[in-house]
Amino acid sequence: MILLMYGLPGLVLLAILFMRPQRPGYGRLLNIATVVNASIYLASTIFILAGVQLPVSFFSGNYLYIDMFGLYEVLIASIVFLLAALYARGYIRGLLKKKEIDRENLKLFYGAFNLLLIVIVFAFISNNLALFWILLELTTILSAILIVTLNARENVLAALKYVFTASTAMLFSFIGIILIFAMTQQALGTGTLNWSELIVQAHSLPTPLFTLAFMFIFIGLAAKAGIVPFHTWLPPAHAKAPSVVSALLSAVLLNTGIYGIIRLYAIAHRTPAIKQISLMLIIFGVVTVGIAAFSMLSRENIKKLVAFSSIEHMGLMIIGLGLGTPVVLFWVLFHTLGHALIKSLLFFSAGILHQEFGSNKFYDMKNVLSLQPLASLGLIVGGVAIIGTPMFPLFFSKLYILIQLGEFSKPLLFLVLLLLLIVAASIAIFLIRTCCQTDEVKPAVRYRVPWVMKAPIITLMVMIFTIGIFFPQMLQNMLSGIVFSLGF
Amino acid sequence: MISVQYELTRILFVLVLCSAALLITQRSLTSLFSIYAVQSLLLSFVALLLFWKTGVYALLFIAGLTILTKVVVIPYVLRKVQKDIYTKRDLEFSYLSPVSSILISTALIFVVYKSFAHFRFGLSQDNVFFMGAVIGVSLLFIGMLIIFSRKQMITKIIGYLTMENGVLLFSLFIAELPFIIEVLIILDLIILILLSAILAFGIDSTSTMKEFHRKLDPFSLWFKKQQK
Repeated sequence: MILLMYGLPGLVLLAILFMRPQRPGYGRLLNIATVVNASIYLASTIFILAGVQLPVSFFSGNYLYIDMFGLYEVLIASIVFLLAALYARGYIRGLLKKKEIDRENLKLFYGAFNLLLIVIVFAFISNNLALFWILLELTTILSAILIVTLNARENVLAALKYVFTASTAMLFSFIGIILIFAMTQQALGTGTLNWSELIVQAHSLPTPLFTLAFMFIFIGLAAKAGIVPFHTWLPPAHAKAPSVVSALLSAVLLNTGIYGIIRLYAIAHRTPAIKQISLMLIIFGVVTVGIAAFSMLSRENIKKLVAFSSIEHMGLMIIGLGLGTPVVLFWVLFHTLGHALIKSLLFFSAGILHQEFGSNKFYDMKNVLSLQPLASLGLIVGGVAIIGTPMFPLFFSKLYILIQLGEFSKPLLFLVLLLLLIVAASIAIFLIRTCCQTDEVKPAVRYRVPWVMKAPIITLMVMIFTIGIFFPQMLQNMLSGIVFSLGF
Repeated sequence: MISVQYELTRILFVLVLCSAALLITQRSLTSLFSIYAVQSLLLSFVALLLFWKTGVYALLFIAGLTILTKVVVIPYVLRKVQKDIYTKRDLEFSYLSPVSSILISTALIFVVYKSFAHFRFGLSQDNVFFMGAVIGVSLLFIGMLIIFSRKQMITKIIGYLTMENGVLLFSLFIAELPFIIEVLIILDLIILILLSAILAFGIDSTSTMKEFHRKLDPFSLWFKKQQK
């Protein structure tokens, strides 16, 4: 029944494949199909959340398995995809008008868009490490297709860089996966790669070999999550992709990497290897935050700035994970949600500005506040929220991660605080520079933002404020449930 | 415990390493593809020998699949792409000259051997299996070296494919993964290579974006059908 709900949207895809591009209203039809697809996913996720006893597993080999953690990530993904699908309707129309995308490529774009949602959801509910690996590879390919649909040669370069970096790193992961399989075969007699069994059997794995396997797998997942030094693909891919795709990349795709790392860490948590692994994660995290902070200082391209901010947040989450207490894990999970919502808001707003000014560079944007009030409001709210100001969701998660870091090591806390200050300063500088530029000459034609593009931005702002101020009890219970089920 | 199969496997290992060395140094693209095909053929022989020894049918299947995809299909696709982009040779090496690459890869094999020697107790005790794992991981690193040291996209793809061969060799010797997983992996890899090849076409040639998208589209449809 549940599987059927997640399998149903395949029909939508079929419908997309059999439509002919010559028909009038073709783009709108495709978009409606996409919105329907995303809504089905969101509705079935909420249904499972409300009425199904978790965890549920499918098939005899337990290849698919829905637990609270997977469902939480699916929930984030389906919210972001639904809003992105709505936003895409207006955004793609704008791109068509400017000839940045061809009509013939709409099918490709929406096909990959829908397929990406399906693949990501199945990645989150797959119980098997190898299946998870395969689905992650597919997400790389599909998002690369989404990047190359635009008519620009740089997009092909950015996508290639993405595919190469991610899949090369994922090959290392595969070695690690084989090692884990071999270890369990030695320890238990029959090899297993299921998360649910690995976490039970963790104590019987040989420590040095498990550390090696963890490191191999970490390389691939870190490349997916954009952890330094495997982050090189991330800024060009985010900057060149259409804004709606950048939002998906940043809000959902990076999560897949972090999700895998958290799962793996939960297994490592039950072995003696945890000490070295935690230290390694903290080092990676601090370096990531450092590199991102200094790269953000002199950015002129708004989307590159936001992309580097994504790297910084991934680093912060890795630091939190490395600290490894239940409290900090709770806030890392919360950080995932807050980060996804705020990043979508930022990229959606940047997309509107790109439509208005035809550029992502701040010096091309004049009279932003009077020309595009909603987009600039979104940018300001997003910018203020992403650095973790009170009233916004990231305030609490950053605060608790930093408090725990202070208990671990005071000098390190000082260093990270300094780096976060640089991040905040660079975002503030960018916002001031963008919003204060005025020009006497007003453009002849203003870009009129359709309501389908406004609605997602307003929804996101409302959601960010709600979560930041009230922090619903339901979410709280859900997160504590996840922390408990991961065995912390 | 010395058997004919293991002795033959040892000889094949040496040949695999030779092919890797050739891949590092060779400049002509057509010979690069041929060397890659030969290397894959060697791997399928290894799988066949293991099947002879152990009698696990999954190994036979993997050997067949390797011959079909890596010896026939992928080189064919690469040759076609190469015809489209009109380049015969990849003369540029960005950071390393071929000689230093060879030296570095020798050092890499040694390092991998040394570091895996630490972990021997956790894995299978057999010497041939251990060597297989070491050469697999070394091949992985050599492939990465090719990706770093070559400039043209199509040669980088050869580097990636070499890495993949390394992973295949490693997985042959370390553990028998569940049958279905192997199938999915090879399917996934083919898709990846096709995509990369088409993307490479978009960069290296002088064609317009429109042509590029035209080439991308029918492929993507095929790809979606595979998904169902």
